[in-house]
Amino acid sequence: MNPIIRTEGLVKDYGRGAATVRALDGLDLEVAAGEVFGFLGPNGAGKSTTIRVLLDQLRPTAGRAEVLGVTPQDGGPHLRARIGYLPGELAMTGRATARELLRHLTHLRRGAGAERIDPLAERFSLDLDRPIRSLSKGNKQKVGVIQAFLHRPEVLILDEPTSGLDPLLQHEFLAMVREARDDGATVFMSSHVLSEVEVIAERVAIVRAGRIVDLDDVASLRHHAGQRIELHFADPVDTAPFREVPGISDVEVDDHHLTCLLRGEPDPLLKVAARFHVTRWSAQDRELEDLFLDHYRVPITHTEVVGHDR
Amino acid sequence: MTAETHTATTGALPVLRWVLRVHRRALLGWGLALAAVTALYVSFWPAMGDTAEMQALVDSMPEAVVTALGYDAIGSPAGYLESTVYALLAPILMLVFALGFAARAIAGDEEAGALELESAAPVGRRRLLLERYLALVAGVVWLAAVVGVVSLGLARAVDMEVATLPLVGATLGLFLLVLALGSVTFAVGAVTGRRSVALAVGAGVAVAAYVSNALAPLLDDGRWLELVSPFHWYLGNDPLNEGLSVVGALAPVALTVVSLVIALAVYDRRDLGV
Repeated sequence: MNPIIRTEGLVKDYGRGAATVRALDGLDLEVAAGEVFGFLGPNGAGKSTTIRVLLDQLRPTAGRAEVLGVTPQDGGPHLRARIGYLPGELAMTGRATARELLRHLTHLRRGAGAERIDPLAERFSLDLDRPIRSLSKGNKQKVGVIQAFLHRPEVLILDEPTSGLDPLLQHEFLAMVREARDDGATVFMSSHVLSEVEVIAERVAIVRAGRIVDLDDVASLRHHAGQRIELHFADPVDTAPFREVPGISDVEVDDHHLTCLLRGEPDPLLKVAARFHVTRWSAQDRELEDLFLDHYRVPITHTEVVGHDR
Repeated sequence: MTAETHTATTGALPVLRWVLRVHRRALLGWGLALAAVTALYVSFWPAMGDTAEMQALVDSMPEAVVTALGYDAIGSPAGYLESTVYALLAPILMLVFALGFAARAIAGDEEAGALELESAAPVGRRRLLLERYLALVAGVVWLAAVVGVVSLGLARAVDMEVATLPLVGATLGLFLLVLALGSVTFAVGAVTGRRSVALAVGAGVAVAAYVSNALAPLLDDGRWLELVSPFHWYLGNDPLNEGLSVVGALAPVALTVVSLVIALAVYDRRDLGV
């Protein structure tokens, strides 16, 4: 089956001459039909640039991007009619009410989705009759989310969709993403926080400095990221027995206190630790930022990326 | 999926209607201001213009000042209306409106991020630009119409003898002048995406056009200045007596068309919101 979103060697430079900044540096990506795809990276890694190329707001410097089999430029308005887009930075000013803005946006789509304005606003408990500029950041984000879903698009391209939404609304948002997926839509969503996408995305790409540095299903990525383990012992311990444990790395011992990185099952570590008197322990999922640090330290090899790819 | 199956009629030119709706208060306010200024000056005519004192005052001023201000014929009804409204307050007020509106139409809204959702909608870039341009045209038409209608109506009421056809022609010339300078501003904004650049260039051109028209008669070889001044295209032929001249009609239209063509060509190609 043809991919819904595909980029090949995508390069995007901003500025000219000596001031040129390379935002995308040969980005390769394939998103299959019907999947929820997470696009992860720190701020400034090129997430929004990629997304804005897909919507034909930016034109590639080199390489190719396709959505539903056509380049964004060739696809033009017909292609954008099939896409729902949530910008990363929602600028909403002016006296117009949320209802007026949403109605305007449906007018641009020949009325598609107009009948969903009220139900979706109710679902997100958004007051449609207040001026947009008086809305809080979270309420503006609701308007943004609603307008992206209104016309039941085939492709949803969402840039940092959950930023500004409180946990309850994040939950509602995820339910909407699942419904869209169940209706056959393909969802491409960016984030700089792994935990935001891991609950919903099947596959995740990590972008750094304009390139994909890792592409994985979420479980492997989580495995890859590992956990930061801390153990406190009643007596001072030696690092030696812990260094032997499979899946353990970065062992550091400071008198009674051991920290290490665990990838995989905790069982072998627990069995070794049980030989001693453990007074306290903690296991913490590592943040995405730590993954980026790993990628800095040990550049991921080509075979490793392919190995996890499906 | 549903985009094609929806057949709800939503009317033509949705972007144009939206922009006018967003700016409806401003458009109303500017209309009222221009109506008030025009009405004020026209209603002063019986008290001020039509008197020997006014002519004496102008006679006492240095000739160069009179020429620069265009007060040569302030003692006649057409001359008075031109000196006060058509050559001075109406174009200046309308330009303040039009340049600000034109700079916002693309560049200002783009910088504010307000174009992000519109440009992601199934609307082609050229169509988006043209509809936003039409909003500028509509705004300038509205204000020129206010000036024309109030002038005509009130001149009749105070027995100010101004011929109808030249007044209509002068109003058309006023519209074309303001639209041309607004189009330059609009185009700079569409090309650069920078509101401040658009405003600076537009205001610079407008001031240069006004000053060169005022100073040209005072210079020995100021003829070339008049040729390139959109204010002279508009005022050079005494429009309230003679009506709209060929130059007054064609030169601003040419400037408008060139600006729009450049805006369309560049906006269609460049990156948005960078």
